[in-house]
Amino acid sequence: MNASNFINPFSIREDEGSFAGDFYTRNFERQARKDSIILNLGPQHPSTHGVLRVLVELDGEYVLRAEPVLGYLHRMHDKMGEVKTPYQYLPNMGRVDYLHPIAWNWAFVGAVERLASIEPPKRAEYLRIISCELNRISSHLLWWGAFVLDLGGVTPILYAFEEREMINDILQIITGSRLTMSYFRFGGVCADCDSRFIKLTKDFIPYLRERLKIYKALVTDNIILRRRLEGVGPMDTDICLRYGATGPVLRASGLSSDTRRNIPYSLYDNFEFAIPAGPSNDCFGRYLIRLFEIETSLQIIEQAIESLPDGPILIDKAPKANYKLPAGESYFAVEGARGQIGVHLVSDGGKNPYRVKLRSPGFSNLSLFAEAAKGTLLADAIAILGSLDLVIPEVDR
Amino acid sequence: MIRAVWDNIKGLYSLIVGLSITARFLFSPQKTVHYPRKVVDPESLSSFRGPLELTPAADNSAQSRCISCQACVRACPGHCLTVVKGQGKAPIVWTYNFTLCCLCAACVESCPTGALRFSHKVYMVASSRQEMVLDLLSDLEKNAAVAND
Ligand code: SF4
Ligand code: SF4
Repeated sequence: MNASNFINPFSIREDEGSFAGDFYTRNFERQARKDSIILNLGPQHPSTHGVLRVLVELDGEYVLRAEPVLGYLHRMHDKMGEVKTPYQYLPNMGRVDYLHPIAWNWAFVGAVERLASIEPPKRAEYLRIISCELNRISSHLLWWGAFVLDLGGVTPILYAFEEREMINDILQIITGSRLTMSYFRFGGVCADCDSRFIKLTKDFIPYLRERLKIYKALVTDNIILRRRLEGVGPMDTDICLRYGATGPVLRASGLSSDTRRNIPYSLYDNFEFAIPAGPSNDCFGRYLIRLFEIETSLQIIEQAIESLPDGPILIDKAPKANYKLPAGESYFAVEGARGQIGVHLVSDGGKNPYRVKLRSPGFSNLSLFAEAAKGTLLADAIAILGSLDLVIPEVDR
Repeated sequence: MIRAVWDNIKGLYSLIVGLSITARFLFSPQKTVHYPRKVVDPESLSSFRGPLELTPAADNSAQSRCISCQACVRACPGHCLTVVKGQGKAPIVWTYNFTLCCLCAACVESCPTGALRFSHKVYMVASSRQEMVLDLLSDLEKNAAVAND
């Protein structure tokens, strides 16, 4: 785009002929071909998940250009971090990504603990791992259902919700809530698990393994799904790295990269689990890798629950509402269901942090979409969007 | 050519497998809880965080343990709580605005006397915002009266 193409949004009046519409559409239209149609998907569209808006330029059914428009769900989480004490800000973390809230809990609590040099007890670390992996499974299950729903298969989401509700029941025992959990505390976790939690979790592992077989027969092997996904939206490692994509999207492109192994945190080093890469970098590869990750998480939970140590779950004198962070900076990254979640915390020693920067994987993954959607059919573009596993509250924060 | 035919046969078979699963689940028992006719088993709600309630004092179930220290009011990130101290230490006003609450437990964990706890009310409904502003002292008395009857 050259400089003369730039329009000052404030210099245009709404009624100025062909310039009617909002700023994004007008800017998008400037580079459109004469014979193309501009279509606005969202922000209230069932297949764009939440309030994402995508502008596409179409030639017939083919996408010439696509541009996501963000910000409809911006809730100023970064700013809120600056006006609340760290302890008061903690419940916000459950709201950033409502599908994998525990990973966000972990990223923020980890950043605070690193800055304040707090070491959580061993039992708390195990509970953190178990709850985070259970939550990862529930996030992948919901993605699985919603993705197939995007492609036109309505029933699978009902199967996925059955297991998801079971995980919610299990997590509710320790976290007290079913969606926006706020379970971690600086220096541990807020509640211990009981025998019911352990029993339900132990029963759930073989049950889900059986159900995964049903998923395979019902959806993965289905010829219609395969023809919809195979070879659609390939993204190679190079483009993934250029846009900073992480998580299953990067792994499907063939790079075995996972924060749990690359920058080990907590006790993940003590567990045996594989970081799968591949098998293909198209939508179907991304589909398979997430289903495989459910199995990986089950393995981690199985090992953790077998070797759950006794002991306290919270350090003595754990930081409370009036806790002041020491001056300094810290960064903590964890592997969320969508990729690397990072929290950068800067403190000047005052009551509230000086700056909190949240790095959401969904935002970087979404940036791939504009490039991957070029030249595809509109229906395939929706498949690509679904395969990125976007959670809009997390993208917008 | 033979390969294409074979692929199509395999594809059709995969559809039949999928449909047979759907058919099997069609005739399996219902898993959802149909709310007005059935309710969730109370055991599974034992740790559910519902709206706050005051814990009754050990000797008098109509009295609260609160000493009006304001620790919960200061800890709450949503400014949901109002506690007004009376003549002694006991509060005379204890209101809780549930519309602002994020059920984070900051108040419960900061209370020095354990005067607050989460209730397990899952079926609470209200038709206006005002009804969501709860007077916890009078709720405590009502609960005590119900328990004494
Ligand atoms: S649970 Fe959290 S938001 Fe609700 S009243 Fe207590 S401190 Fe405030
Ligand atoms: S912290 Fe406890 S004792 Fe203090 S005002 Fe709140 S409820 Fe009362």
